[in-house]
Amino acid sequence: MNVVVKSKLAGLILAFSIIFFGLESSYSILLFLVVMLSIGIPHGSVDHIIAFINPKARKFDSKPIFYLVYLSLIVFNIILWVISPFLGLLVFLIISCYHFGETQVIGYNPTDNKILNFVIGANILLSLFLNNIVELQEILYILPQFASLDLSAFDSVFFLLISVAILMLSIVNFEIKRKVPLYAEITILYMVFFHTDLLTSFALYFGFCHSLPMLMLEFKEFKTDSFMKFYLKTLPFTILSIIFGFLLYQFNNDLLTSDNLILFVFIIISSLTLPHVFIMKDFVKDK
Amino acid sequence: MLNFIFDAASIAPGDFTGFTFFIGSVSMLAATVWFLMQHGQVDKKFKDSMLVAALITGIAAVHYFYMREQWVLDGSSPTELRYIDWILTVPLMVVEFALLTGVGMRKLFWASVVMLVAGYFGESGVTGMLDAQTWGAISGLAYFWMAYEVGCLSIFGGPSGAVGNALASGSGKIPEAGRMLQWFVLVGWAIYPIGYMAGTDGWYTFVAIDEGAMNIIYNVGDAINKIGFGMAVWYAAKS
Repeated sequence: MNVVVKSKLAGLILAFSIIFFGLESSYSILLFLVVMLSIGIPHGSVDHIIAFINPKARKFDSKPIFYLVYLSLIVFNIILWVISPFLGLLVFLIISCYHFGETQVIGYNPTDNKILNFVIGANILLSLFLNNIVELQEILYILPQFASLDLSAFDSVFFLLISVAILMLSIVNFEIKRKVPLYAEITILYMVFFHTDLLTSFALYFGFCHSLPMLMLEFKEFKTDSFMKFYLKTLPFTILSIIFGFLLYQFNNDLLTSDNLILFVFIIISSLTLPHVFIMKDFVKDK
Repeated sequence: MLNFIFDAASIAPGDFTGFTFFIGSVSMLAATVWFLMQHGQVDKKFKDSMLVAALITGIAAVHYFYMREQWVLDGSSPTELRYIDWILTVPLMVVEFALLTGVGMRKLFWASVVMLVAGYFGESGVTGMLDAQTWGAISGLAYFWMAYEVGCLSIFGGPSGAVGNALASGSGKIPEAGRMLQWFVLVGWAIYPIGYMAGTDGWYTFVAIDEGAMNIIYNVGDAINKIGFGMAVWYAAKS
């Protein structure tokens, strides 16, 4: 069993445990934070090394140039969110769709079909959002485009049905080497999205279907003796990211209420995601 | 956890419907374990089929635990949970045909999308367009298209779609397993339109079935369909 499957299996067991035991939604923020801090952020914290050890990703002449470009993208993303939250969200979604899809197809299809990568990622995010749409609407109420939507006529089954139907049509209309296992895996994800709240769904998907498999692939690429040695290498930038998030929070503390705290978390995630996506695009090329 | 799975004591004495929910949940769980164990025993080309068989019963097991819980708590019919289960598992059952034959996934997926979406629209009335019997007819047509494609009519010497032909000309025990699957689609899946007719208004109002009885039919039918489907695939794979 390869590392990607093992990682996803760990997530599946955790997901089923949460569904069976009926984890209170008040604990979802805790689960989200634990997963983000232990797996989510660390998987992107070695981008500065990945960018130089992977022959297909050597686009930067020197480390200072790499950091300059990387940090500029983060700053650009924050400015975008400040100027237009809608545009910030749109860019984040488009980039995330591609990135999530690209890593999701590993093991099922080569990652060079960019449209497929985008469509698969879009399917996953669409299902995550559709199956938790009321919760999402509460979070994104500051965006008038979402606040004015009236969803009262639809029940949760409708959204599950729509997301499964779109997935089925997406899968059959693309050339994919292993269509059925890919479809089957995403079906399990959809079930988890349906039965858990938004934060738990995102934590389970992002942690165990995306970040942990990537972390394990990075570990293989590093060729270090032990996983612990590799994990320690992720810590400096993980800690820096947490400090960065904390400072942003403090800076905006007077603007943030419990209602838009989750939105703030999304801004932080999107800022860390944007430059990471470009590094991982090259990293997964031959996976 | 164990209490949650095996807590049959909470089902009231004489509650036969509740008992079938319990049987449904544990039999689906047992089948999942069985299919996963067999996954390691079968030839490489059947591994995906066994995994999908385990997934079908696994997803059903999760929802049957929920359904049993709801039935025991307030005696209400867990229609919503049934739909969630069917939305996730019907496409996977259809996929088994494509895995065995290597053809027809596109047609079968389209047919199942139309069947499920039209069925849901008819039963929920969410669109505000067309009546339940029209949506039911659309859903039924998709079902018959699927039945034709997988070769159900060939049981009686009738014509068959590409999937049915591929099943008939398959190697090893695929033709025999294919025939079992065709019977499941033709007879086993008939419980779903019956349930639809019992739950909606139309020319078929004479199909009035007591809610408890309907749940028994669904529970027994679901268990036979889902576990039987997997067993038929395993039959083809074990050779």
